[in-house]
Amino acid sequence: MKAPTLLPLDKDKHFGRLVIIFVSVGFIAIFAAGLAAAFAVQRNGEHTAWLIHTYDVERAIGRVDSAVQSMRFARRGYLLDRRPAIREDYAEARGDLQRAIDRVAELTRDNAMQQRLIPQVRALAREMDAMLLFTMAEADAGRMTGIGRRAGDAGSADVSSRIQKATAAMLAEEQRLLGQRVRAQQSSITLFYWALGLGGILLFFVAIGSVATIRHYTSGLMRSRNQLRVLNEDLEGAVRVRTIDLQRANDEIQRFAYIVSHDLRSPLVNVMGFTAELDAATHSLRALIDRAEAEAPAIVTEEARLAAREDLPEAIGFIRTSTQKMDRLINAILRLSREGRRTIAPETLDMVGMFQGVADTLRHRTEEVGATIRIADDLPPMVSDRLAVEQIASNLVENAVKYLRRDRPGIIEVTGQRRGLRVLYQIKDNGRGIDPKDHERVFDLFRRSGEQDQPGEGIGLAHVRALAYRLGGTITVASQLGEGAVFEVNLPAVFAGAGEKDR
Amino acid sequence: MNGQQPVNIVMIEDDEGHARLIEKNIRRAGISNAIRHFVDGTSALKYLYEDSSGPALNGPALILLDLNLPDMSGTDILAKIKGEGPLKRTPVVVLTTTDDKIEIQRCYDLGCNVYITKPVNYESFADAIKQLGLFLSVIQVPDLDSD
Repeated sequence: MKAPTLLPLDKDKHFGRLVIIFVSVGFIAIFAAGLAAAFAVQRNGEHTAWLIHTYDVERAIGRVDSAVQSMRFARRGYLLDRRPAIREDYAEARGDLQRAIDRVAELTRDNAMQQRLIPQVRALAREMDAMLLFTMAEADAGRMTGIGRRAGDAGSADVSSRIQKATAAMLAEEQRLLGQRVRAQQSSITLFYWALGLGGILLFFVAIGSVATIRHYTSGLMRSRNQLRVLNEDLEGAVRVRTIDLQRANDEIQRFAYIVSHDLRSPLVNVMGFTAELDAATHSLRALIDRAEAEAPAIVTEEARLAAREDLPEAIGFIRTSTQKMDRLINAILRLSREGRRTIAPETLDMVGMFQGVADTLRHRTEEVGATIRIADDLPPMVSDRLAVEQIASNLVENAVKYLRRDRPGIIEVTGQRRGLRVLYQIKDNGRGIDPKDHERVFDLFRRSGEQDQPGEGIGLAHVRALAYRLGGTITVASQLGEGAVFEVNLPAVFAGAGEKDR
Repeated sequence: MNGQQPVNIVMIEDDEGHARLIEKNIRRAGISNAIRHFVDGTSALKYLYEDSSGPALNGPALILLDLNLPDMSGTDILAKIKGEGPLKRTPVVVLTTTDDKIEIQRCYDLGCNVYITKPVNYESFADAIKQLGLFLSVIQVPDLDSD
């Protein structure tokens, strides 16, 4: 038989584990890339917020500068044209400056360097404010001279330029930070793209790997399926071949038994036939002796008379009984061999009815010996060959009746149970029992056990066992000498071998 | 029986003892026709079909056939005789030890005229042969030439 090989299971398992590891690694990598991208996006958001912050700071610083300029313009304007509206402008610009400085201070609270510059700017702003207010108050008092104004101008210009220097330093610091932050943002964007690209590449490879694996697996599965189908067909073929082999062996035995029994019968026909011829010849011989004795007693010897009247008839008698017995034995073998060749026809059997029928046919015998047959009314039914089961049942019950003890009333009980797919029937008697050493022997052909006071050839139980085997069952006996016997038949509840055993 | 052409009895039986017993009983039954005895199928077929005194070429016959022969199966011989050919109307009596129903049916299907089981019980055996004798005395062997 051709035996296609499947993928070795071990290798398969190893491969499967490897695939799972690779795919998991791939997906973890993709997940990591996704995380990195998310992280990069989040970082980018932070950086953007910081950029905006930087611009805010720059704008606030710009407002400081412009407020300083507005204060100076307002003062100069006031000196030229002392209108209260201009004075109000100044106050407004002064407030603006204050607010702008506060704003810057607030925005740059996290920056130590900027914080260091803030008090300086505040001091300068106060100084300039004082200086400007002083010149305006001088002007109000009418003491403002051209020199004083110029001196005031120069002083305020100096202070404002110092303020501008400070704010320029702050701006420079912010510019530095801006540059840093832009670079950081760029790097986070680069990281994002890298992560995205790497993720994409990983995804690509995992996808290719997955598809390849699936294809590999699918083709492996297809191959396995085809192999399985081939195996399956092969298996059926193998079973068929074995069945045919078994069938052939069985047929061979049957044929052997059949031929042997026939070929044994053939010489027996001669033995019987010529014995009859001898017998016939003896009759004429005896008649001759009788006549000789009557007419010429002198010629009849004692030997001749004995031979004709006793020896010959006795020898012929023994030959006859022996050949008759041999004929019965051969017929028994023949019957067994025929039983094996008979086609089994399974049908549903009512076992209570069947045993009842057997008991009825034995009624005459049981009444004669005073025996009772009790049949349980819960015997499980079965699907099997009626004739074979009937022969098993009748043989066992008949045996039970046959070998009862005469010193006590015979009781024969038939019980049965279903055990899964099997059915068990017990035939129990209180008869003479069977010596345990003969338990196997009683099932052999032509073998009997115990006192040979009953007619029989030792065929019944051999026949029963052959039938039980044929039906896919077994038979066992449990018994002690003098204490009755229990024969248990174990048969399949549904005969299943019909298609295989029969042609 | 046909006066001009006495029926020859052709006995195909491998067991000499059986043959002798059969012959004895036939004679006892009062039948005096010639008996030709063959112990194997080959020589019997040769005689049946080719011998100048054989039934195919010369006169009617009755065939006594045993099924268990050393060289071929008796049923094959039966099939050959009862198949196409000059002997298909020749009566054939199968006389054998087999009492298997299937075997008997097969022989009748093949065209055997009478099937007799050789009983081990000699009285029944002798009876059977006597019956055969009666049978031989009443059968009308057809004149093959006029057919």
